[in-house]
Amino acid sequence: MTALYDIEDVRVDMPLASGLSSLLPGGGPKLNLLDDITLTIGSGEIVGLVGESGSGKTTLARAMLGLTPISGGQLRFRGRELSSNASFTTLRRQTAMMFQDPVASLSPRMKVGTLLAEPYAIHRIPKAERRSAADLLARVGLSPQLATRYPGELSGGQARRVSMARALALNPLLLVADEPTAGLDVSVQGEVLNLLTGLRRDLGLSLLIISHNLAMLRHVSERIAILYLGRLVEVGPTAAVFATPLHPYTASLIASEPQPDPRRRRADLAIRGEIPSVLNRPGGCVFHSRCPLVEPICRTTPPALRTLAPGRDVRCHLAEPTLNQDDS
Amino acid sequence: MSAVVLQVEGLSVAYHRGSGAPVQALRSVDLVARAGEVVGIVGESGSGKSTLAAALIRLLPPAAEVTHGAIRYRGTDLLGLSAEAMRAVRGRGIAAIFQDPMTTFNPVIPMGRQLVDYQHNLPGLSRHEKRQRAAAMLTRVGIADAARILDRFAHELSGGMRQRAAVAAALLMTPGVLVADEPTTALDMTMEAQVLHLLRALRQEVQGAILMVTHNLGVVGELCDRVYVIYAGQVVEEALVDDIYHAPRHPYTRALIACDPGSLTALTPMLPTIPGRPPDLAPPPPGCAFAPRCSQAIAVCHSAPPPRVRVSATQAALCHRVVA
Repeated sequence: MTALYDIEDVRVDMPLASGLSSLLPGGGPKLNLLDDITLTIGSGEIVGLVGESGSGKTTLARAMLGLTPISGGQLRFRGRELSSNASFTTLRRQTAMMFQDPVASLSPRMKVGTLLAEPYAIHRIPKAERRSAADLLARVGLSPQLATRYPGELSGGQARRVSMARALALNPLLLVADEPTAGLDVSVQGEVLNLLTGLRRDLGLSLLIISHNLAMLRHVSERIAILYLGRLVEVGPTAAVFATPLHPYTASLIASEPQPDPRRRRADLAIRGEIPSVLNRPGGCVFHSRCPLVEPICRTTPPALRTLAPGRDVRCHLAEPTLNQDDS
Repeated sequence: MSAVVLQVEGLSVAYHRGSGAPVQALRSVDLVARAGEVVGIVGESGSGKSTLAAALIRLLPPAAEVTHGAIRYRGTDLLGLSAEAMRAVRGRGIAAIFQDPMTTFNPVIPMGRQLVDYQHNLPGLSRHEKRQRAAAMLTRVGIADAARILDRFAHELSGGMRQRAAVAAALLMTPGVLVADEPTTALDMTMEAQVLHLLRALRQEVQGAILMVTHNLGVVGELCDRVYVIYAGQVVEEALVDDIYHAPRHPYTRALIACDPGSLTALTPMLPTIPGRPPDLAPPPPGCAFAPRCSQAIAVCHSAPPPRVRVSATQAALCHRVVA
C-alpha cells in the first residue's frame, strides 16, 4: 500500500499568551500540545485515532489540514512536503474534514443546497465540473428535497450526512472524520459508518476516523493509533492491538469499555484517575501517573516509540515483543 | 422481594404544539422500582425516556401535559401534590442527576455553599455540620481533596469531578429514588468506567432505587438489575438484565442489541442497522409503532395495537408475534 499522507516527528506548540509577549525573541512562552507524532495513512486505508479529551486528537487533525500551524517535523501528502499556505490550499482540495458537531459546522442561514455548493465556490471549480446538490445528497442516501431545508430542520443523522456530502463534493482522496458517530443512536451510527466504509470501497478514498468509541473502531478501522496527552503511545493493526495490546494505557482502555453482556460485568477498575492537564504534563513517560506497571525509569525518562513487531509501534519502557504474532 | 418505592401506572404525556395534534410522547407507561434495585430505562433519542425522567420529578416543560396515569412514591401520587409539597419530595424523596454536570451547579457560588444549601430540608444540623457531611460525601465519591474542592467553583473542576460532585449532591439527602439521566454520556471513556464503578459501589449504601435512563447498552449491562425498553413512548419490553441481553423477546430489543458494536463478537465491517425511522407520534400509528421497521411484522401488526404478552413473572413484551 502506498503512503498517501505522512506525518513525521510532528510537534505542535501553542503560544500561552497572545499580544505583545508573542513578539519576544522565540515567541514567548509556549504550551506543547503534540510531540513526536509519526503516522502514515496509506492509500485507501481506514485508520482509527483514539484518545480521551485533551489528548490532542482534534489538534492533530487540524494540523494535518493546515488549520493549526506545526512547530516541528514534516507533513507530506503524496510524497510532497506541505509547508506553504499554497500547498495546504491545494491539499484542502483533495482532503476533506467532517467536523465533530455537524450542526455547528453548517451555517444556520444557508440552505443545504447552498452549503453543498460552497466548496466549489471556495475553490473556484468551473460550473461544468460541479456536481448537483441532488447528486451529492443521493450519494449519502438523502432525498434531493433536503436541498431546500435549513440545517436547523435536520435530524442529527441527516446533518451528519449533509456534512459528509459536502466533504465529498471535491472528490477527496482523504476524508478526516472527527467523531462521526458522537451523539447518534446506535441504529443510525451503523448507517453512517457503513456509508463511510462504502465510500472507501466505491471511491477508494482513505479515511482517518477520530473517535473514542473503541467498539466501533474495532469493526471499521484497519489500523489504530492511540494518543495520550499529545504523544502516540501505540500504533498497530486493529485486530492485533485488540488481541494483544502492548501499551498499558491501550490495555486499560480496552478493559474500561462497558460490556453490554451482564455476564461479562467487570469486577474491578482497569484505570484510575484522569488524564492530566497539558499545563501539568508529567515528566518521564506521560502515562506514568496512572500506569499500573510503573517503574522508577518511567518517572524520569520519556520512552521513545519503538517497533516491537512488524507494523506495531509502542511508546513504553516495559513493553516486550509478544510471543505469538499470529494475530497480526 | 423488597418494598416498592416507586410505581408508575398508565402514565401518558402529550406535548402541545402551536397548531396540529399534540405529540403523544409517553403512552400508558407502567413501571415499578423496588428498594435496592437499579432499573434501566433504555431507548433511543425521541423514545420518550427523558420525558419519563422529567415526569418522575415533575419537571416537565410547560408545553407538556400529563393526560393520564399516576406516579406513586411510597404510596403517594405525586401528580396530586401541590407545588410546595412536591418541593419537599424532590431531593429527599426523588433526586436526579443529569447528563451535563456543568448545569447542575450554579457557576457563581462555591461548591461548598451549594452542597450545604442542598441539605436545607435536613432538620437539626448546623451549617458547619452540613459542610462536614458534604466533605465526607465528596470523599466517598472519590474526590481526593474534598476540603479544597468545597471552596472551588464548578467550572474549576473537570467533567468527571463535576459528575462525581453531582452524585454526591444527590446522595446527601439519602433519596428514596435516584433518577440518573445519561450520567456518563458526557464523560471520557476511562472516567465513564470510574463513574459506573462508583454507582455500583454506592448502590449498596443507597437505601432506595436507582433509575438509570440511558441509550448505552454497555451502561445497562454493567449496572442494571432490571430493564424497561422504550420505543415511541411505550414500554415495549421489560425483563431482568440477563434476559434482556440473552433472551430478548421483542423484535426491537433484539435489533437494538444486534446494532451495538460492543455486542458483536465477530469482526463485522458492515455494521447491522435498523432500517427506517421511529414514527411520528402526532398521532401515533394505529398498529404497532415498530411494525414498519420490524422484520417479523404481519398484517395485524399494522392495523391493531399489540397486546402486552407476559412471558414469565419478570418478562413481558408488547408484541403481536410473541407467544407466552
